[in-house]
Parts: sequence; structure tokens; C-alpha cells
Amino acid sequence: MRLRPPRTFRLPKAGNRPEEYEDASLAVYPQHMGVSGRRTARVSVSDGASESAFAREWANILTDAFVDRPPDISGLTEDSLRDWLAPAQEEWWGGVPWDRIPWHGEAKARAGAFATLLGLTIASVPDDPQRLSWQGLAVGDSCLFLVRDDRLQFSFPLEDAAEFDNSPALVCSNPASAGGLWESVRLISGECAPGDLLILATDALACWFLASHAASENPWKTLLALDTPAWDAWVEEQRRAGSMHNDDTTLVIIEVV
Amino acid sequence: MSYTADISRNSPGCFLFLVDQSGSMKDSLGGEPNSTKMDGAADALNRVLDAISQRCSQGMDIRDYFHVGVITYTTDSSGNTQLETPLPGTTPEQPFLAISEVVDVAEVEERQVKESDGAGGIVEVTRKFPVWLRPKAGYGTPMCAALTAASTALSDWTAQHQDSYPPMVINITDGEAGDGDPVAWAQHIMELETNDGNVLVYNVHLSEMSAAPVQYPSDEDEVSIDEYARQMFRMSSVFPDSVVEMASGMGLPVAQGSRGYVYNADLVSLVQFLDIGTRAASDLR
Repeated sequence: MRLRPPRTFRLPKAGNRPEEYEDASLAVYPQHMGVSGRRTARVSVSDGASESAFAREWANILTDAFVDRPPDISGLTEDSLRDWLAPAQEEWWGGVPWDRIPWHGEAKARAGAFATLLGLTIASVPDDPQRLSWQGLAVGDSCLFLVRDDRLQFSFPLEDAAEFDNSPALVCSNPASAGGLWESVRLISGECAPGDLLILATDALACWFLASHAASENPWKTLLALDTPAWDAWVEEQRRAGSMHNDDTTLVIIEVV
Repeated sequence: MSYTADISRNSPGCFLFLVDQSGSMKDSLGGEPNSTKMDGAADALNRVLDAISQRCSQGMDIRDYFHVGVITYTTDSSGNTQLETPLPGTTPEQPFLAISEVVDVAEVEERQVKESDGAGGIVEVTRKFPVWLRPKAGYGTPMCAALTAASTALSDWTAQHQDSYPPMVINITDGEAGDGDPVAWAQHIMELETNDGNVLVYNVHLSEMSAAPVQYPSDEDEVSIDEYARQMFRMSSVFPDSVVEMASGMGLPVAQGSRGYVYNADLVSLVQFLDIGTRAASDLR
């Protein structure tokens, strides 16, 4: 088994400038999974909370951290999660231009930035390099979907379009405000089968996906058919039609072949 | 469904504050014997403008999610109406500034405050406090004139922002209009609308009495304190369902039918009350 190169699509919220995009995503994968030794593909998606300060920076730091030094998901504990986050939180704090912040940004910056995090690792099974297993970690409403044999196997961590609201769980850049994080962490794992589709999406697209699936449609077929030029027009059309919320929108598709 | 519009820079929200600066505002504030009503009104307004500013702040930048206006009302010693707009560059006819302009006209004071150090101790730190309105009190209470000015300004604003979340008018007063019956004027404002619903009128009724505060009543008999309180009840909008849901989530004593009216509010409930207005429209996108 191998992975096709992950495909990533992004579109800022209508009315926002590209530099105001507060989603982040990153995907790194080995060319030949499992051929020689234990290799890991890492994919991460994060959605910075607009109401917090320097959220875009935080979302990027989180996705980079997950890909550069993924946490040990199978052995994750409250302490190891805190230790894993600490360097990312320090990086964010160090990047805030404290001496130049206007008065209205100070308290917000001190409180810290907030963002969702969805991370996925895919690696060969240690004793059987022909098999691939995966592990996922989620905080908040950025979602992972697994499609197998043209059916939605699962949706993680949210399962219903009605679960999306304006107060998802979030990872905070300020350790003092990160209380309750461990309780909001969701973990999942499984094994890949040839033909599997792994889809990562931020909330607006994830909510559309689940609503579409609930209406007995196969939303992955729509997404698979998109290329980069078609993507922008398609998202804009969904927004105009009211079937997708106008929000920063990120999609990563991974195909197992 | 009404009162569900997203607030964005293309369709900003709107707050218009009306602040009573009549002579009786010099009296002490109920529940806060060391403070006067005019101090309470100014402090609450400054705090809520600070809160709105911070909600729109991205750190270095600020996004124009809201337009804000402030109109104060009193009379001179001869009883002539005096409407003033403490936000520089505004007039009672055109009282609004975008929030990015509002933050620029604040006078920022640095004060020493005690805060938790996060490890069980207390540290003294310097924090910035923006000030837009200084306490002031004059003579009469031309509330009807202030409501008339608000109506004119909001008629223009709603015509220009039909897709926006409906504006919120927040009237901070000790309640005794001196120029007629304000109920009809308030109801006239409530008839203005955007595509998302009617303009909301909320009233913060300050009193020197130390009686228990009345918050968000749904029945006029809950405010049978005096005729002025009944009048203020009638000139307050019923909270839309989305506000009831959000305020309940914040632990505030609201129910279906509750009105945007608080009587004899102390400073804490005042700021809480004003926060409802900003959070109701909290889906900043």
C-alpha cells in the first residue's frame, strides 16, 4: 500500500484578505511508505479562533509542531500533551510583538490565542511493512472522515452537522488558560485498506459534508472530482446557496492505493 | 429567522448609547454608596466600549465589526436641550464611528491594578484603561429629544445596512424624562428594522435606592416600583430568542419574554447587562 500525494485546498472567508486566513494545514509524507524501515506521514489542520489575538500565527505553529515532531498519540497522557505543547506555546509567546501592541490587543494577547487541532499520522505496521496503520488526535471541530468502499466508515470527532456551534474546544497558546484541554482531547486509530479515502476538513466544510451525507448523498465524490481551479468556484457556490457557512475553508484529501 | 445575521465588516453591527447627564445623576448609585450615578454611567460605558474594542481586536489590527455612537443628553440652566457626542467628529445627526476609529479617539490611562500572579499570590501591574466619557451632570432630562435624535440617526443607518444584525440602542438613565412621554419615541425606534429584525432598545435604569435590583423582567408588575420604572419597562425590547439562549448560557436570569431592562443595577450587573448586547452578536466572522 502507498499514499497518493495529499491534496490540499484552501479558500478564505469571502470578504477577507488572503493574509487574514486563520486556518492552517500541513502534510508531509514519505514517497515509499513502509518499504524501508518505519516511516510516518503526518497531516495536520488547525482553525484559529478569530476572536482571539494572533490566532493565525498560533494555528500555523500548531500544524507545524504536529508535522515536525508529532506527539506519541498511542501513549498520550495529560502530562505528555502539556510537554508537547510547551515549546509551541513558547514560540507563539516569543513571536508576539509585545512592545508594539495597541491597547485594545494587550489583554487579548495576554489571554492567548485559540485554535482547533486535528492531527493524523500514518505509518507502516512495525512487523508487517505492507500494512499501514493510522492514529488521529482532535481538539475541536476540525474533522476527519474515513471513506471505504464508497461508504462513510466514520466521522471524527463530530458525527452530526447539528454538533457544530460557535464554541468548539480549542487549544490555547497560554498554558495558564489551557485548563480543561485534556478533557477535550479525542483520540482514534485504525488500519488502512487499499482504496481508503482520508479527508480532513475545517468546520464549514466538515459541517457541509455531514449534512450532505445525512441527506443520503456521497459528499466525497463531489470533493474528489474537484481540482484547484474548480474548488474556489464550488465553495463560493455553496456559500451563495447557503449550504456552507462563509468561513475560512480547508480540505486535505489522502488516498490510499 | 430574525437576529441571526453574522456580523462582519461587510455587514457590521451597531450600538448607539444614550447617556443621561441630568442633575440627578450626581446622586449616589444604589448599592455603590461611594459612587454616583454619573460615575457609574461613565464607568460602565467606558468598560463596554473597551469590551467591544477588544472583541474586534486581532492583536495588532482591529476589524470594523461594529459602528458605535454615543449621545449624551441634558439641558442648560434655562432648560434648553443639550445633546452632545463625546466621540470626536460625530454629531447627534451622524453619531457613528467605526470601531477602528473609536479605539483611536480613546484617552488611554495607565492604572496600577492588583492581579493574581497565577501561583496564589497578588502582583501589582500597570494596565491600560481607555476613557471616552468623563462623568458629567447638568440640569434637565430631555430623554425624548435624545430618542428622537437616535431615531433619525438609526433610520439612516438601517437604510444603509439592511443586511446587518439590527442596531442596539442602550439608554443609561435614572429614568425621569423631563420633556414628555418617552415610550412612544422608544417604540418608534423599535419599528425601525433591517432584514434581520427590528432595532432593539435596552434600558439601564440607575437609582440611588438600595433595593434589590430588578433584572430582565418579563412582566410589568415586576417593576411596580414607581411609574418611571413601568415607563422604562414599556420602552425596552423583549429579548429575541437568540439573546435569551446566549444570556442563559452566561448564567443570567433571563427567560422567554424577558426585556432588556435592568433597574437599580450595580456596576457588575451594569457591565453584565451591556455585555449581553455585544455577545448577542458574538458570531464575529
